[in-house]
Amino acid sequence: MVNTRRSNRDESSPAANGDSPSNTQDKSTPTRSPSTRSKTAAMKKGASGQSDNGSPRPNGVGAGAKGSTQNEDVNMGDSAPNEQQKGKDGDEEMTVVVPPAKGSKLSEQGKDNGDDVAMEGADELDTEKSGESEDPEAKTILDIKNSFPLLERAVAQFDSRFTLRVLRSISSIRKRISPDVLAKVIVETYTSNHPTAKTLLAAVGKEDAFSGEQQVVEMEVDAEKGQSQAKSTKEIIPEIDIFLSILVQVYLLDKKEFDLGAKFSNHLVDKLRTLNRRSLDSLSARVYFYYSLFHEELKPYPPSPLAPAISIRQQLLAALRTSVLRKDQDTQATVTTLLLRNYLSASHISQADLLVSQTQFPPAASSNQVARYLYYLGRIRAIQLSYTEAHEHLVGASRKSPSSATAAGFYQASMKLLVIVELLMGDIPDRAIFRQPSLEHALQPYFLLVQAVRVGDLEGFLKVVQVHNSTFRRDGNYTLILRLRQNVIKTGVRMMSLSYSRISLRDICLRLGLESEESAEYIVAKAIRDGVIEATLDHEKGFMKSKDVGDVYATREPGEAFHERIRACLALHDESVKAMRFPMNQHRLELKNAQEARERERELAKEIQEGDIDDDDAGGDFDGI
Amino acid sequence: MAEQELSSLLKQIHQTVGSHDYEKSQTLLSKAKLALLSLNALVPSPTTSASSLALARETLELGAIVSIRRQDPESFTRYVQQLQPIYDLPSDVLSQEGSNQSRITGLYLLLLLSQGDYAGFHTVLESLETAVVSNGGSQQSLEHDVFIQYPVKLEQWLMEGSYDRVWAATKSERVPSEEYGVFSDVLVGTIRSEIASCSEKAYPSLPISNAKNLFFLESEGSVIDFANARGWIVQDGRIFFPLAAEQGPRNEKEILATSGTVIENTLGYARELEMIV
Repeated sequence: MVNTRRSNRDESSPAANGDSPSNTQDKSTPTRSPSTRSKTAAMKKGASGQSDNGSPRPNGVGAGAKGSTQNEDVNMGDSAPNEQQKGKDGDEEMTVVVPPAKGSKLSEQGKDNGDDVAMEGADELDTEKSGESEDPEAKTILDIKNSFPLLERAVAQFDSRFTLRVLRSISSIRKRISPDVLAKVIVETYTSNHPTAKTLLAAVGKEDAFSGEQQVVEMEVDAEKGQSQAKSTKEIIPEIDIFLSILVQVYLLDKKEFDLGAKFSNHLVDKLRTLNRRSLDSLSARVYFYYSLFHEELKPYPPSPLAPAISIRQQLLAALRTSVLRKDQDTQATVTTLLLRNYLSASHISQADLLVSQTQFPPAASSNQVARYLYYLGRIRAIQLSYTEAHEHLVGASRKSPSSATAAGFYQASMKLLVIVELLMGDIPDRAIFRQPSLEHALQPYFLLVQAVRVGDLEGFLKVVQVHNSTFRRDGNYTLILRLRQNVIKTGVRMMSLSYSRISLRDICLRLGLESEESAEYIVAKAIRDGVIEATLDHEKGFMKSKDVGDVYATREPGEAFHERIRACLALHDESVKAMRFPMNQHRLELKNAQEARERERELAKEIQEGDIDDDDAGGDFDGI
Repeated sequence: MAEQELSSLLKQIHQTVGSHDYEKSQTLLSKAKLALLSLNALVPSPTTSASSLALARETLELGAIVSIRRQDPESFTRYVQQLQPIYDLPSDVLSQEGSNQSRITGLYLLLLLSQGDYAGFHTVLESLETAVVSNGGSQQSLEHDVFIQYPVKLEQWLMEGSYDRVWAATKSERVPSEEYGVFSDVLVGTIRSEIASCSEKAYPSLPISNAKNLFFLESEGSVIDFANARGWIVQDGRIFFPLAAEQGPRNEKEILATSGTVIENTLGYARELEMIV
């Protein structure tokens, strides 16, 4: 196996150079270079209010992915340049955020004016005037409240796209949330004795908001009071409850109030379990996501069996069961990845493996969830030594990872693992991978590792492992890296077999830094058996004699590589066809059109028939003239 | 009450293990397990007292060691799995003192290794790694733990092919504790067959006297037996490996098979292309 890959790479290189890593490269470099990134980010921000044709909720889950995987990388001590870059990203985001804030408002407004009831437009104009004076807070309140009609519409029209749009807006609202804003929204949405309102307010520490606000509202403007009452008399749909709760969760998470957040989430999850509404699906997926994040942050941390993160498995498994029964694919996908993450955090690999084999990952999950799922799957398989499978999953994960800067942590983590798995398979990752700006610094230790493996330098390899020991441990890749030792030796043997037609075992022993000639002899014998090199040993004279390498093009390998690539292209085509969105009931419309067309045709035919006579008549007339 | 009974039972078991009377310790062990059940300590629950937990741990560890000595891997695995929840308890509930955790875990690793279950081996190893990291900085402890390092080193040598070092390590004086010796025979068997399969590919022929050293066999007679068992030809004091015999006819067959797949693939492309266009 190793041999086929190797020779493929080395000898048939003109053909083999376009191998998978470089493909990734070609694809990902342009999107990841900083200049284009800012542009795409800007475009995304601008577009977020307008259209749904982008990938489903890139921003929201991107931020989520950051929250989950980035953790490791932020405190990884990837010191200066990375930080700098982060800062730069931040700047970019800042500059990006400001103009679209207006833009998006305009566009949203335009949109709302366009297809919403007039009242909404009026409402917005109304507050926009006041919004100019006390800008950010009022605007945030407005943004949040603008989500409500969308949620209502999602329920009324049973179209989850509206819900997704609301969820996507969370990431832009997120930075501007404050307890005051939340309290105001809550007060204006609920009546004072509403139980949900009380719990929500308690969570943001504004229990007394009603007594204060209510008076102000009553005192201030009659019209507004009337409006708020009109709103509160209207039945508040659970979707809005949950949406506000998610905002509270996000707020608590950003404020690092993990205890409070965990408690709040517990209540929320309990409440969620009593509701059975399909329109809640994507919202509840988000609730579970934060629920698990909060518990992960509570001490003691996972490997200890008393960790709160482990105690929520029961809840998550229950959620998984329910979501499968209800065909709730959003929650199913989210909870599956959360469970895998949970198991892996405590290194319960066999349990994670069982979960994977017992459940099916929903095919319609959002690509971010798929990316995460693939990453965890890749990790499990790598630990179980099924490198080929792991490689496949990890390539998928890193390609599917969101290209926005917020998800750089996930991309880094999956690339790190991918690099190691490639090394373990006997491949050498492409040099260009390490040149990507988002990876360059974070992957530095891994780059040194690759260099050591590539030249078969055992001493250098051990030194790299020694020096970056703590980094590798923190990434959870240490044991995998220790397995690389044999690969280093194999590469060393291979290099020697390529460069010498005959070399004594003593020299091999010296060059590889092995302890005895006997070891060298066994190692070389094993390399021959495993197909790493083509050689024979002479025991009596103590040397290794390399065989001439055959012509690779005479074998089936080029054909197989070709087949492999064509299959990948075809699969890509199929997937992109599947990923396209087809409007509901479009085919009926087409049928109707066809019917109409047929009728028109019939009429036309009739007319022509009749027209024939006319023509004749006309012709007759003409003739007559 | 029951605890006293149990500890006296444990003492007896220790004695029988000392005198290698495993049958007797087996019967005593089942009694001890019954006592544990009545103490409700066989499976740890939050209410179980620390002293009975310690007793439970001792019983199960003894059981694991007895089953290793009786060469009964199934029952050993069972004991290890029963021990796992006890080992997972935090140290303030049950102190690490008197625990044979690393010894048992090392044995379990060795068992997985001798069964060739590398995936299981690495899974266990991975969980050890995280457990150690989480216990706060004592990263070195795992690397200095003889019981754990022994199987880890063996695995490394087996993977890279330093069979001579595996051989050296299985000699009785290098084994960290008595129980580990049980696996030596299995391991030697494993490496011998590994070396044999390597030699078939690596050497055109081999003098018997050298083969004796290479396969770690005692006499030239056993070399000849071994060679015959693997179907090698012994002639003029040399072993000839039957190689390349299957290469001639296989080539033609291969070509046939290859053209078959090529045709199949091309047809597949055509079909897909038609679907796309």
